[in-house]
Amino acid sequence: CFILTRSHSRGPFSLPLFTQRVALSQGPNTSTAKIRLRTRLVVTLLFGGGLLGTWWYVRKEKQQNHQMQRIEQLKKVALGQGDFSLLDHRGHRRTKRDFLGSWVLLYFGFTHCPDICPDELDKISAVVSALDKDRSLPAVQPLFVTVDPERDDVAALERYVKDFHPRLIGLTGTPEEVKVAGKDYRVYASPGPKDEDGDYIVDHTILIYLVNPDGLFLDYYNRMKDDVQIAESVRNHMKSYVKLSE
Amino acid sequence: MSAPNSNQRKACWGARDELWKCLDDNQDNASSCEKFQKEFEASCPAQWVKHFTKRRDFLKYKDKMQTEGFEPADGPKESRS
Repeated sequence: CFILTRSHSRGPFSLPLFTQRVALSQGPNTSTAKIRLRTRLVVTLLFGGGLLGTWWYVRKEKQQNHQMQRIEQLKKVALGQGDFSLLDHRGHRRTKRDFLGSWVLLYFGFTHCPDICPDELDKISAVVSALDKDRSLPAVQPLFVTVDPERDDVAALERYVKDFHPRLIGLTGTPEEVKVAGKDYRVYASPGPKDEDGDYIVDHTILIYLVNPDGLFLDYYNRMKDDVQIAESVRNHMKSYVKLSE
Repeated sequence: MSAPNSNQRKACWGARDELWKCLDDNQDNASSCEKFQKEFEASCPAQWVKHFTKRRDFLKYKDKMQTEGFEPADGPKESRS
């Protein structure tokens, strides 16, 4: 009823001139019907648009809340709080402090790994390359820490990392140093039985850890996540990180 | 013994895939695929041969569970009161 009375006077629902002329020329009954229909359509669209907008906004809020909750939970788990001191694949001493200021993707593995480590490192390389393409994002630092210090010395790591992303840094050290780094991220590692060649496989946690420029562990990715999903997740973390520190 | 490099890894995986394809084509009849088995063992470190063999067994088992269903073992019988 509100719409009926308003349609005949100039107001928020006033019609473009040509429609009015067409409406008037076709006689009073059909013109009113056309105006009524058009007005109703506009109102419905605006109302629908409003609903959609509200739904989208609420959904975004919910996702952000979810993200914040997850970060809070991971902060409580407090992985990666300690310091590590290791040798990189060029023989230089590196500590955790050296990587502050960078986003880090960290993976624990060993060079004698049959398939999983090369797969995961290929995945990390793909993620870093994808993120490199976006000039607005800071460069990600991929790190590979060995869980097999007995065999993975500096030379072994040097041979290994060159098959992956050029920025990948391999890290090793004494069994003690490596144990400290692994323990910090609660990495499980268990060397298997040695065969006649002295070869063995190290059973270990297969996760990629995301560490932010403050050295805070933010997220982790298992084998089910592909490079596209990981890159998307890292991108989101980077964007929300900037917002928090403003 | 140094770890296999990228080319050696790919050669091993290739040999493994050839073997597995042969086994798939021959209903896991190992004697029909002896040539591929030898090639596989020659291209891969012994530990990897063991690892991939176990992996295939696991994948076959998983397949079986998914297609034929799971039959629980006869555990202790519950007394119904």
